[in-house]
Amino acid sequence: MYRQDDIDAAFLADRTAEFRGQVMRRLAGELTEEQFKPLRLINGLYLQLHAYMLRIAIPYGTLNPTQLRTLARIARDYDRGYGHFTTRTNLQLHWIRLADAPDILDELAQVGLHAIQTSGNVVRNITADPYAGASADEIDDSRVWAEAIRQWSTLHPEFSYLPRKFKIAVTASPADRAATRIYDIGLRLYRDAEGELAFEVGVGGGLGRTPHLGATIRQRLPVRHLMSYLQAILRVYNLHGRRDNLHKARIKILVAQLGIEAFAREVDAEWEASDKAADLPLDELARIRAGFLPQGLTPLPAVSRRLEAAKADSRALARFARRNLAPHKVPGHAIVHISLKAIGATPGDCSAEQMETVASLAERYSQSEVRVAYDQNLILPHVRLDDVPEVFAGLEAAGLATPNIGLVSDIIACPGLDYCALANARAIPIAQEIARRFSDPVEAEAVGELKIKISGCINACGHHHVGHIGILGVDKKGEEFYQLTLGGSGGAPGEGEAAIGQILGPALPFARVAPAVGDLVAAYLAARQDGESFIDTVRRAGLAPFKAAVYADAHPL
Amino acid sequence: MRHALTANRLSDGEVVFWSGADWVGAFAEARLYDSEAEARAAEAKARGEVTRVIDPYLIEVAAMAGRDAPVSFRERIRALGPSNRPDHGKQAQGGEAVRALALAEGAARSSGRTALIRRK
Ligand code: SF4
Repeated sequence: MYRQDDIDAAFLADRTAEFRGQVMRRLAGELTEEQFKPLRLINGLYLQLHAYMLRIAIPYGTLNPTQLRTLARIARDYDRGYGHFTTRTNLQLHWIRLADAPDILDELAQVGLHAIQTSGNVVRNITADPYAGASADEIDDSRVWAEAIRQWSTLHPEFSYLPRKFKIAVTASPADRAATRIYDIGLRLYRDAEGELAFEVGVGGGLGRTPHLGATIRQRLPVRHLMSYLQAILRVYNLHGRRDNLHKARIKILVAQLGIEAFAREVDAEWEASDKAADLPLDELARIRAGFLPQGLTPLPAVSRRLEAAKADSRALARFARRNLAPHKVPGHAIVHISLKAIGATPGDCSAEQMETVASLAERYSQSEVRVAYDQNLILPHVRLDDVPEVFAGLEAAGLATPNIGLVSDIIACPGLDYCALANARAIPIAQEIARRFSDPVEAEAVGELKIKISGCINACGHHHVGHIGILGVDKKGEEFYQLTLGGSGGAPGEGEAAIGQILGPALPFARVAPAVGDLVAAYLAARQDGESFIDTVRRAGLAPFKAAVYADAHPL
Repeated sequence: MRHALTANRLSDGEVVFWSGADWVGAFAEARLYDSEAEARAAEAKARGEVTRVIDPYLIEVAAMAGRDAPVSFRERIRALGPSNRPDHGKQAQGGEAVRALALAEGAARSSGRTALIRRK
C-alpha cells in the first residue's frame, strides 16, 4: 500500500496546525461563521442537523489495520463509538465537537489519513475497483492510477476553485466495479491490440438533479498521457463550466450543452496544444507502483478441503461462502465481503469494536489489507480459502457475517434526514424496514440479486438513480414522501449496462414504501423467467407489471 | 402561527432553542412567540451571538396531539435526534415531553426549510 513520505507528513502537520489556529480564532469570535465556514469545509468539517460531521477521505477505499484501528479509536474517543462508511468510500463521524477537530486531524495524519478535499469545488476522493490487486480479470492495479491522480490533484493550484465538485473513478478490469459511468470522469484501463495499456476516458457522468451517464470522449489514451489529458479536461471545464447556477455547474451539464463531440474537440485542442509537462515521469510512476506490489500469495488447491468440510457442518458458513466470497486471482484464495447491512442496522455504520475486529482479521488473514466498497460494505481482499471458517467465526462474533451481499437487504442508504442538513426525508429507517421484511436469508436468496439504493434528497448520495429499485426522499409540505424508480444500474457485473432508473409513479408516504418494495418483489417473482434476475425482468417486461403491483389499489395520495 | 428560535451551538453543533433568557437543549423549554415581530427581534439579536450559536432561525410551532411541537418533520428530528439511534440526541433522555414530540405529526405544511436553504 502507498505510504506517505516525509513531504506528505510535513504538509499534513502544517495543515492541521493552520486549522487549529483557525478553530481557536473562531471560538474566540475573531472569525465569523461566514469567514470560518469555508475554512472548516476544506478540512472536511461540516455542520449537520445535530452536530459537526467530519468526513475522512479513504483514498480508493484502501485501509491498513493501523489506520482502521486509529479510526476506531477516534470514533471511541471523540465520537459515539462508531463511524459511517459512505458511497464515496469515505468515513463520516457524525458527532464531533469543533474544538476536537484539529486533534482528530493530527491523529489521522499520524497514520497518513486526512480530510482534505472531502468538501468543496475540487477533485474529491478518487475511487477505484474495490477488488484491485485481487481479481483475476484485472489488467492492472487500478489504485496505482488512482494514487497518481490523487497526488496530482491534491491542492492543485489551478483546480482548487472549480465550478463545482469533481469526482473521478478508475477501473482496470472489463467488469466495472467502480461505477465509472456515474462519475465526472470515469477511466477504464485496458490493453490495446498492440498490448499497450490505454484508458478509455468517459466524461460527464453524474447523478443528482439531472442524472447523466458518462460518454466516452477518447477511446484510446496511452497511459503515459493520463495527467496531461485530465488537465485538458479540467481546463475546459474550469473555463466553460457555469458558475452562475449551482444546479448547472457540474461538468455533465457542460457536456450535455456542448454535445459530447464538441466537448471532446475542445479537450483535444487544449491537450494537443499543451506541452504534456503534467504527465507523470516514469520513475515517479514506478515509485507509486512500488506501493502496490502484488502480495506474492502462494497458489493453493482451488478447492479447500478444510472449507468444504466446515461448510458441510455449518449451513450458516455455507450460505456466507455462497454470498460473500468472490474469486481471487490466486488459486486457493478468496475476496471476502463484510456486510455492514445486518438486518435492522444502519447501512454503512460500523462500531469501533467492529472496526477493530476487521483490523485484526485483516492482519491475520488478509495480508493486512481492508477495502471500503462504494456499496457501504468492507472487503478483506486476500483470504486463503482454508482460513475462511476462522474469518467467518470472527466476523460472526462481531455481528459482521450477514450473508446478504448483492441481495435485497444489502441496501445503500445515505444518512438522509436523520443527520443531513440538506435532506428532505429519512433514508435509513426505510432501509431498515425493507431489510426486516426480507430478513429470512432463504427468502432473500430465492429473490436473488437486487440492488436497492436510497437517497434522502435529489443530491443522490445514495445513488438511487442507478438502483434496480431506487428510492428518493421528497418533501411534500414538510412531510416525507418517496419517489420510486425502477431499472437503474451502476453497470457492475451481473446488472448489465449502466442505466438511469425510470420513475414508477406518484410518490408514496413513508409507511407505504417498504410494503411497495414487497409488492415489487412479488411482481418480479410472478413475472420472472428462467434464471432472470430482478433487473433482467424489469428490462424485459417494462414498468407495467410493477406499476400495477404498487398502484393497483391506490387511493388518491 | 407561533414561533420558536433555534440554532446550533458553536462548540459542538448541538441543537439549541432560545428560552427567553438563555440557549437550552430541550424544545420543551423553548420560548414560544405569539408575536412574529417579537420573534424576528429575538432572531436578529441572536445573530449577534457569534461565539455561542450558528445560524439562528425561527421555526413554526403548532399544537399537535395537545402539545406544542415544531410543525415540520425536519425540525422534530432536530428536536429529538436521529430516528435510527434512539440512544443518541435529545431523545436519549426520554421523558414525557420527548415522547409527545415523537408522537407529534400531521400538522406539517410549509417547513420553514426554504428559508434555511437560502441561507446555506
Ligand atoms: S442525498 Fe441528500 S440527504 Fe442524502 S446525504 Fe446526500 S445531501 Fe444528504
